[in-house]
Amino acid sequence: MPDLAISTENLTRRFGDLVAVEDVNLRVESGQFFGFLGPNGAGKSTTIKMLTGLLAPSAGSIEVLGLPLAGDAVGIKRQIGVVPEGMALFGRLTGAEYLNFVGRMYGLDRETAAKRASELLDFMQLSDQPKALVTDYSHGMQKKLALAAAVIHAPKVLFLDEPFEGVDAIASGTLKTMLQRMIARGATIFLTSHVLEIVERLCSHVAIIHHGMLVAQGSLEELRAGVEAKADVAPAGVPAPTPGEKLTLEEIFLRIVGGTRPAETELSWLG
Amino acid sequence: MAGLTISQEARGQFAAVAHMRWQVFVNSLRSAGGRMELVSGTVIGLVFAVAGIGGAWGLGAAAKFLVSHNQAEWLALLLWPVFMFWQLFPVLATAFTTNFDSSNLLRFPLDYSTFFLIRIVYGSLEPATALGCLWLAGVAVGIGFAAPHFLLWALLVLLVFAILNILIGRMVFAWIERWLARRRTREILGIVFFVVIIGFQFIGPLVNHFGQGARTGVEQLVTQWLPIERVLPPGLAASAIAGAMRDEFPFALGALLLLLGYGNAALFLLNLRLRAQYHGENLSEGTARVPSASEKSPVQSGWSLPGIAAPVTAIFEKEFRYLSRSGPMLFTLIMPVVILLLFRLTPSRSGDAQSLLVRAPDLAFPLGAAYSLLILTNLVYNNFGADGAGVQFYFVWPVRFRQILLAKNLAHACVLALETILVWLAVCLVFRPPSAGVTLATLAGLSFALLVNLSVGNLLSILAPKKIDFGTFGRQKASNLTVFASFGVQIAIFGLGAIVFLWARSHGELWLEAFFFLVLAAFAVAAYALGLNRADRLALGRREALLAELSRA
Repeated sequence: MPDLAISTENLTRRFGDLVAVEDVNLRVESGQFFGFLGPNGAGKSTTIKMLTGLLAPSAGSIEVLGLPLAGDAVGIKRQIGVVPEGMALFGRLTGAEYLNFVGRMYGLDRETAAKRASELLDFMQLSDQPKALVTDYSHGMQKKLALAAAVIHAPKVLFLDEPFEGVDAIASGTLKTMLQRMIARGATIFLTSHVLEIVERLCSHVAIIHHGMLVAQGSLEELRAGVEAKADVAPAGVPAPTPGEKLTLEEIFLRIVGGTRPAETELSWLG
Repeated sequence: MAGLTISQEARGQFAAVAHMRWQVFVNSLRSAGGRMELVSGTVIGLVFAVAGIGGAWGLGAAAKFLVSHNQAEWLALLLWPVFMFWQLFPVLATAFTTNFDSSNLLRFPLDYSTFFLIRIVYGSLEPATALGCLWLAGVAVGIGFAAPHFLLWALLVLLVFAILNILIGRMVFAWIERWLARRRTREILGIVFFVVIIGFQFIGPLVNHFGQGARTGVEQLVTQWLPIERVLPPGLAASAIAGAMRDEFPFALGALLLLLGYGNAALFLLNLRLRAQYHGENLSEGTARVPSASEKSPVQSGWSLPGIAAPVTAIFEKEFRYLSRSGPMLFTLIMPVVILLLFRLTPSRSGDAQSLLVRAPDLAFPLGAAYSLLILTNLVYNNFGADGAGVQFYFVWPVRFRQILLAKNLAHACVLALETILVWLAVCLVFRPPSAGVTLATLAGLSFALLVNLSVGNLLSILAPKKIDFGTFGRQKASNLTVFASFGVQIAIFGLGAIVFLWARSHGELWLEAFFFLVLAAFAVAAYALGLNRADRLALGRREALLAELSRA
């Protein structure tokens, strides 16, 4: 029996008549760098919100680190870190004050919170402007600070909703280094991203959600093998794989969600 | 400004902007909030219409009176208020909110003249322009009735004056937009404007308070400023009309030409600003500047409050940091002391030389303290407003909602305590030290009122939150539910307070009032604790609505 960091049973969320997430059974093992993919509106953000306690499921159950989220929410929250969609930082604090604040919310003592805040600011190259308010940070700086705040208590599981959106190559490099260090130390990372190249490079395991349903889950190799086995049913517009050539994650993704490329006759006026 | 002809493409762009604005309005009506906005907008529109029509009628009657009594020079007295309103109102009404960044339009292939016209036309579609035009029309009608032969000339002068007002308004706005687009300068300008407004409030009371000498001084100042006034736009417009009526056409023409000169100057300055924007000047919030190694400093530990849990202390510290960095908030919090000063300096309307509080100084401390609490209800009834989307973390962090609310309530109680001390000191200095009985009764009443407000405030903060920006003045409405509930609570508390106060006073036993309120406060503590214990369940049940409302852009 594998050591599961995150697992869901028939996780479902309805908004009125709309079923945003339906019967999702996720299995994320401890220590995995897990990418959660899906087209726009597929249910990624809804799922991550339910996993982090921001949204109540309509049906089904969630376990994080073997504990039911509905049962011991506070106990689980002590062991997870979250970078939500839009970051949601407290803008009128300085970076150091914000990290101190978050550290103490996770129950760190004052000295530890201050020490870790200082180290994180240095690591993220944010320590040069101690008096600047977070609201005056650039987007990339805010992303780095959001990640720093999510890891200040050394969480066992980290949830990241689009962590690389709008981040330049330098900031992105810093974020990736930090995430890889966490994985090396045994943490589990669950991230959603639209940048498939990054997911392919970082993640060992991937799940794909489409129209609210989980359509694929496994290691990249498992997904690739599954798609190659069904090569003859590739959707229109997606080229068939050349024998011996490794499919990229983008190709796997397009084949699984049935994405099609527009026919050449469409938008002919574009030239 | 050559080439202001409107091409077919420019007409299309103009229509597209108009359609976009209409579509935004129509789409806003899809939500209940948007429809409420329409209702409140209609009510405000009716108020403006009454002010506009009433003002136009009054100005028209005054203009007719002045012109028919050969006092046309005094038309300046009518034109100055119009001018001041036209220029100041838009700034005060909109200056302290985030402004539409015109660079949004620059991604489209707009030529400069179209960009210029769009900025002028759409920028001018505001109540100040409508009211200003209406009032000037009233003046023109008044002149027309008194001296019909001069109506055409007066219309021409007033038309130039109106265009000048629009240009100056747009020019001033375009220049201050440069500063308002940045948070810090927006806050500084906001404080400056508030200081100016409060300064104006003090002029009358100060003149009255310091007697005839000061009045003579003001009159002298006005006399000295009169020649300067005559060469400023409202004075020039009045001179142009009066000169024509005195058959001094060269003088009248000269005044009109000077008015046009002002128009050209405003146009030039406006053109300067808009050209800079057109060529890609970025007015959005500045990103961080280049780091300087010398600024690095060790991270200080957070606050420590003995006997209080770390998360509660952390939120308490955060609340104080937020408040201390908000110029507008700090300014609001010193208002009780300012109001006491105003009461001290303002004579009563009944003709007595002294105001109510001077005659009954025992009331000064209770009223000042009550006003402090009233101001604080903005924060108390919307605990999560300033956290915005950050409220998500209260559901993600291992912390209970009752701890969060307790920390925020503690912070607000400390602010009230601080304000009460300030008010007490101000009362001692400005009136006389309140008696021990009054002080005790006020503190007991305040404790009860605070506990009731905190209890109801905690509930409403979860049920009807509204995102607010501590760095912004004005236009930050609470939810309707909060407004009504808060209103009801204050009426009940102050009504009860007044009854108990009068009853205790009639018996000459103020300590009875203190005792009564302390008993009520004990009940209020129980209700408060009960509410706090239920906060987690309530917040969890309301989390989606809470997050949706506070995470809005």
